[in-house]
Amino acid sequence: MVLSAPPRSTPAPQSTKSAKSTALKPRRRIKSASRVDAFAPYMYIAPFFALFAVFGLFPTVFTFYVALFDWNPIGGQTFIGLDNFVTLYGDERFWNAMRNTFSIWILSTVPQLLLALFLAQLLNNARLKFANLFRMTMLVPYITSVVATTIVFASLFGRDYGLINSFLNFFGVESIDFAANTFASHIMVSTMVLWRWFGYNTLIYLAALQAIPKDIYEAAAIDGAGGFKQFFYVTIPSLRPVIIFTIIVSTIGGLQVFTEPLLLSAPGLTGGSGRQFQTLSLFMYEQGFGNFQFGYGSAIGVTLFALIVVFSVINYLLSRRITSDD
Amino acid sequence: MSAKRIARTVIAGGAALALLAGCSGGGDTDGKITLDVWTFGGMGLDEAFATYQEENPNIILKVTNAGGSDEQAQALTTALAGGKGPDVAAIEVGYMSQFKAQPQNFVDLRTLGSDDIESSFLDWRWSQGVAADGSVVGIPTDVGGLAMAYRTDLFEAAGLPSDRDEVSALWPTWDDFIEVGAEYRAATGKGMIDNVNSAIFNPAVRQGSEMYYGDGDDDLIYDSNPDVREAFGYALDAIDAGISSRTPSWSEAWNAGMNNGDFAVLAAPAWMMTYISQQAPDTSGKWDIAAVPENAGNWGGSQLAIPAKSDHPEEAFAFIEWLMSPERQLEIFQAHGNFPSTPELYETEDIQNFTSEFFNDAPVGPIYANSVASIEPIFEGPQQRIIDTAILNSLSQVENGEEPAADAWSTALKNVKTALGG
Repeated sequence: MVLSAPPRSTPAPQSTKSAKSTALKPRRRIKSASRVDAFAPYMYIAPFFALFAVFGLFPTVFTFYVALFDWNPIGGQTFIGLDNFVTLYGDERFWNAMRNTFSIWILSTVPQLLLALFLAQLLNNARLKFANLFRMTMLVPYITSVVATTIVFASLFGRDYGLINSFLNFFGVESIDFAANTFASHIMVSTMVLWRWFGYNTLIYLAALQAIPKDIYEAAAIDGAGGFKQFFYVTIPSLRPVIIFTIIVSTIGGLQVFTEPLLLSAPGLTGGSGRQFQTLSLFMYEQGFGNFQFGYGSAIGVTLFALIVVFSVINYLLSRRITSDD
Repeated sequence: MSAKRIARTVIAGGAALALLAGCSGGGDTDGKITLDVWTFGGMGLDEAFATYQEENPNIILKVTNAGGSDEQAQALTTALAGGKGPDVAAIEVGYMSQFKAQPQNFVDLRTLGSDDIESSFLDWRWSQGVAADGSVVGIPTDVGGLAMAYRTDLFEAAGLPSDRDEVSALWPTWDDFIEVGAEYRAATGKGMIDNVNSAIFNPAVRQGSEMYYGDGDDDLIYDSNPDVREAFGYALDAIDAGISSRTPSWSEAWNAGMNNGDFAVLAAPAWMMTYISQQAPDTSGKWDIAAVPENAGNWGGSQLAIPAKSDHPEEAFAFIEWLMSPERQLEIFQAHGNFPSTPELYETEDIQNFTSEFFNDAPVGPIYANSVASIEPIFEGPQQRIIDTAILNSLSQVENGEEPAADAWSTALKNVKTALGG
């Protein structure tokens, strides 16, 4: 990688044109120095793009290529065109994983953002003592290892010894087999996702809340708007761009939920015996690394990629419409 | 910052990356040879490694424990796909069919003299490491001889005999086993076994001479082999009779259940004795060991393979040969319970007189030796694991009440077909 060719050497000044060359010299020097200056910012960001090209861009592009093959990682590779995609879109396991992914995404994102908004509102209260302590505490689930979180939650949701079932039994409700039942397992996974991300979104909402000018509230109060009206007619409209942002981020994250179902699925990779909580990412992993079908796994990856692009574009268009409404 | 300094920084960064990328290639120092050995937890080989290291100062053993057998298989897949690999790799038998379907990734051990040691191993166990083209991909480690671990206290409470010979006599067949489970249910209201996959289907389906494949990679017989259908039927009968406590193996509830007596019977391969004694130390002396119905079974074990990219295949093979010699396997068994795969040991005093204090002084040596003696070699094709997963999942669905038993077999076949078509 030769990123810094030295400035082109100036031809030796010719004595016959001495006046010209002395006039030229300093100008050139300035020019070459400014060229370096112009170049420097690219150099500073180059490491990221170099790493991204190697670890981000190349694998992504290569996945598209692998998806066209019957590709055994330790065996042969046969070009089969779009056969993987044809098989995939006729594969009920794929549609099952799709349903699970969307179900878990909605079950985790909607309550999560509502909860985050509510908590941000509370934390923004001027009369709150130790506000910084509470704000920082919100981030603890986010920085806790997903593995640790999943293990703790799995035991809370356990069928025989889980705390939640003991609680239900106390009120005379029969135990729920969270891992075995489709809907219950989605609740279980969603709870873990919610737990991990609500603090992050709370802080983003909080920052946005603090940026809303106080005089808008005062004006609203003078006009006779109470707490609820202020919230719905001042707070929510002001937060719109941030809400759109959190929805986009949670969508991208929600479509890729992987670690929680993987750990709950252990020692298998099927996301429960009926694939009841197998997400698209886990399905991709099962096919690629469990069954050694890299081509098929890549086809799932490409589809997931396309899905995320589509959702991001929809979100983008929505957010543009909403901001232009203002 | 001048352009030169920037260039220097970038080059230094690039060099660091190159170093990172290149650091996996091991070099030999001072004429010593480094053997890269990849294992996973529970193989019980640590002391043997230390002994070998002491006896062979010219060899440096670099042992990497990947964690579980799944992690190890994935690490090995990634390494082989990238054209790398250790000198010795342990592969759990469940994954063996997937790896040996691509034998070109491994040294054919016949070229290093595996023929000379073949006769000292159980023939069916040896065949698990042999590829379809006849090349020897892996040397067997221990054998997961199977028995039923049962709780004497719970059996007594249920009005059943608790003496190990009497218990073994209770269930010569799987039908008898299910009947005992039904009695246990009637007396206690609890399930007798942990789950039907581990305690019934897995052992039962391996008691024939064929499983999912006939005699070649393309000869799929999972849907027509009566042995598979029969084992599946036993599992369904067991669910119907309510003999399962529906506790998945390796779950938290399973570990807790060993302590709490949620189930009284557990299919226990030899290597699991250590696991039970660690998970449920307070139940010491309450367990005993009886024979498995039909008296034959295996669960687990590994093969040691030498990837084709190894720089020192000869040294690696000499190491494997030493490690899996009968004397060494006996030591490993005595320390960790991993049962030897070399039958010449079975008649020795060391095995015949071996008892386990934790299991009520049961003569576990002869019990395990009997269970592995009558097993027949089974041909396992490349999709073995995928088929197995689909069938076991269908049984779990019935066990959890998520699917009706009447549809289970057709669902299982349908799921296998989908999985194989993908």
